[in-house]
Amino acid sequence: MKRRKILSVLLVTVMTATMLFGCGKKNDTPADTTGNSSGGEGAANTGSTGEAADSSEKVTVTFMLSGTLATEGEDFETEQMPRLVEKKFPNVKVEVTKLPDDQYYTALKTKLATGEAPDFMWVQPRYAGVNAVFPLAEAGYLTDLSDLKAAELVGAGVKDFTYNDKIYAIPCGVTFLGTYYNKNIFDKYGLSVPKSWPEFENVCKVLKDNDVQPIVMGDKDMYVMQFGLYQLAANMIYPENPTYDDQLRDGSVKFTDEGTWDKVLERYGSLYEKGYIQSGSLGLGASQAIQKFIDGECAMTFDGTFNLQAINSSGAADFERGYFPLPGNEEGEQLYTAGAPGAGPAIYSESENIDICKQILEYWFDSESDLYKAYESCGKFVSTNEGAVVEPLYEDFMKLYSEGNSWYWCNQAWPAGTENEMEALFGEMIGGAGTTVPDITKGMQNKLEELLAE
Amino acid sequence: MKKKKKHKSLVMTNKMFWFAVPAFLMYFTFWIFPVFQLFRYSITNFNGINRNYDMVGFKNYITLYKEGTLFHAIPNTIIYAVVLVAVSNIIALALALLLNANIKGKGIYRTAAYLPTLFSAIVIGFIWSYVYMPGNGMIATIMDSLGMDGSKFNILAGFKSALYAIIAVDIWKCIGTTMIIYLAGLQTIDSSLIEAGKIDGCNGWQMIRLIKVPLISATITINVILSVINGLKAYDYVFIMTNGGPGKATNTLMYSVYKLAFTEQLMGKSAALSVVAFILIIAVTICMLIFMNKREVEM
Repeated sequence: MKRRKILSVLLVTVMTATMLFGCGKKNDTPADTTGNSSGGEGAANTGSTGEAADSSEKVTVTFMLSGTLATEGEDFETEQMPRLVEKKFPNVKVEVTKLPDDQYYTALKTKLATGEAPDFMWVQPRYAGVNAVFPLAEAGYLTDLSDLKAAELVGAGVKDFTYNDKIYAIPCGVTFLGTYYNKNIFDKYGLSVPKSWPEFENVCKVLKDNDVQPIVMGDKDMYVMQFGLYQLAANMIYPENPTYDDQLRDGSVKFTDEGTWDKVLERYGSLYEKGYIQSGSLGLGASQAIQKFIDGECAMTFDGTFNLQAINSSGAADFERGYFPLPGNEEGEQLYTAGAPGAGPAIYSESENIDICKQILEYWFDSESDLYKAYESCGKFVSTNEGAVVEPLYEDFMKLYSEGNSWYWCNQAWPAGTENEMEALFGEMIGGAGTTVPDITKGMQNKLEELLAE
Repeated sequence: MKKKKKHKSLVMTNKMFWFAVPAFLMYFTFWIFPVFQLFRYSITNFNGINRNYDMVGFKNYITLYKEGTLFHAIPNTIIYAVVLVAVSNIIALALALLLNANIKGKGIYRTAAYLPTLFSAIVIGFIWSYVYMPGNGMIATIMDSLGMDGSKFNILAGFKSALYAIIAVDIWKCIGTTMIIYLAGLQTIDSSLIEAGKIDGCNGWQMIRLIKVPLISATITINVILSVINGLKAYDYVFIMTNGGPGKATNTLMYSVYKLAFTEQLMGKSAALSVVAFILIIAVTICMLIFMNKREVEM
C-alpha cells in the first residue's frame, strides 16, 4: 500500500515537472555561446561574419516592425525584403511580422521582457514612442552598430540613433511633415504656394471666401494634431533656441514660458477659430479626412511623406497634388521644415544571429544593392543617400533639409506621453470644453515633469 | 479515548486529490502568480522596458490620487456602467418577453437580435465609426434625406455626447447575449403558474410584474452582474472609436490603464491603477451580488 502511495506521488511529481519544463523557455543558451553543428543559428554565431552567409545550413532571421501593408503592389518589408535577402543569402530565411503601431508596441515589450525579441526590430529616433532607440539602448536591448559601413552611408540622421557615442540603428533617410494641396483649386483661385504665415492665412481666407473648405483634418485620431503643430514649432521655437528640448529636460526652460509653445498653440488654434480647418474635426478620423481631400472636398491637409500613397490614391475628384512646408515664419524670415530621420532597423543584443543580421544591414543600405533600390522606391521616406533620386514633390523640402533649415519632430525629444497630453488638451480647446492655451502648456509641463521623474 | 471516525468517500479517496495538483499548479502559474506580479509592479517604477527598476512603495498610488487620474476616469466609468446596465437589461428583457411569445417566425427574430454579438469589437467599432461619421455617415445621410441638416450631426466630436454614443454601440452589441439569457430564464417558468395566473384574472402587465419577473430573479441577477462587470471594464469601443477623446471626454478606467502602460510607458503606475480598478470591480460586484440576492429572496 505504502509502495503504491510513493509511486503515485512520484508519478504526479514527474508529470508536474514535465509539464513545467515543457512550458519553459525553448532555448536558455546565452547569445554568446558558440553553437555546434546542430543548427544554423549556432553556425551564425561563430564569430566570423562571412561564415553564416556561406554556410549551407539554414538560418531563420526574425524581423518585427510596425506599419500597414501596401495596398498596391508588393509590400517592401513583408514581401520584397525577404525575397531579396534570401536571393543574396540563400541559406537565410527572413520571417517578417508587421503589426499596427499599438499592437507592435505591446508585442515588442512582451517579447523584450521575456527575452524572446526578434533579431531585427523597428526603432524610432531618440525618445519617440515606445520603440524609441534611446530607452532601448539604455536598457541594453540593442546591438552596437557603430562598425557598420551602412551607418556612414545614410547621412546625418544617424546622430538621432546614437546613444553614448554608439550607433544602435540605421535610419531610413528622412520623413517630412507638410501640407498636401489641391493644385487645381489653387490655380482656379490664382493662389501660389505660401512662403510665410501671413501668406498662408491669405490663401485660407481666399478659399474660405469662395466657399471652399481650406483645410481638412481628422482630429478624432488625435495624433494628426502633431502634423501642423510640429511644423509651426520648427519655425517658431527651434530657430531661436536650438537646444530648447535639452533645456526642457534639465528644467531651464518650461512649456509655460511666454513666447514659446503658447504662441505655437495660439497660431494653430486660430485656424480652427477662423473655420480654416473644418468644424467638427474631432468627429472625423485620419483616413476619413484623407478621403475628403482626395475627393476634392477641401483644398489642403497636413500630413507626412509617409502617407503619400494614401494621398495619391484616386478619389471622386481628379486633380494634381502638391506639397509645401507649412510656413510658420513671419514675412522676410527664414522658412524651416519639420523633417525627421525615419525609423529604422536595429538588432536585438541577445540575438543568436547578430553577424548575419549585420551582413543583411550592410546589403540593405548599400545604395547599389537591389534591396536598397527596392526600399527607396517604396516611397515611404526620402532617401538621403548620396545620388538618391528625390521625388519631385519633395524637392523644396530636400532643399531646406540639405541647407540645414530643418528641425526634428518635437516628440522625438520628449518622453513618450507628453504629446498625448498636448493633443488631449488641444482637443478640449478646439472642441469648446473651456480649456485655454495656458491650460495646455501647464498640462504639458506637468506631464513632462511626471514622465521625467520616472 | 475513542478515535473519531474519518468520513471516507468511496469515489473521492484522499489520494485522488493529488491529481488536482497539476491543474492547481497551472492555475497558480498562469493566474494567481501574474496577479501577485501586478501588485508587485504597482510598487515599482518599472517602465515596461528597463528591468533595472526600483521599489517606490506607495508612491504610484499617491500620485494617481494627487494628479486626479482616478477622479477623471472613475466618473466616466460609472456613467458607462450604469447606463449600460439599465438600458441593455430593460431592452433585452423586453425583447426576451416578446420573443418568448408565440409569434410567427420567432426563430428569425431571435437570430436577428443575437447577430450583433457574433461580430468582434473591432469590426463593430469600425462600422459604427462610419455610421456616426459627420457629413457622409449613415445617420447624417438619413437625416439629410428626411430634410434635417445632417451636416450638423457629429456625435463623436461632442464632449457631452461622445461617451453616450459609445455606450449605445456597446448596448447594441451586448443586447443579444443578455436577451438569450433572459429567454432561457423565461422558458424555465412552469406553464402551470402562467395558467394559474390567467385563471386568477391577471392581465398582461400583471403577468410580467407578478409572475414572470419574480420567477426569473436569478437570471436578472446574473445579467445585471455581468453587465456591471462589462461596464466597469469598458475599453475596446473607447479605444477603437475615440481613443479617449475628444480631449479626455471618453477616458475610462481601463483606457487610462492602457494609456499609462503603453503610451506613457509608466508600467508601475499603470499596475497601481489596475490594482485600484481590480479592487473597485470586486467591491462593486460583491455589493451588487449581496443586494441582488437579497432582492431575489424578497421576490
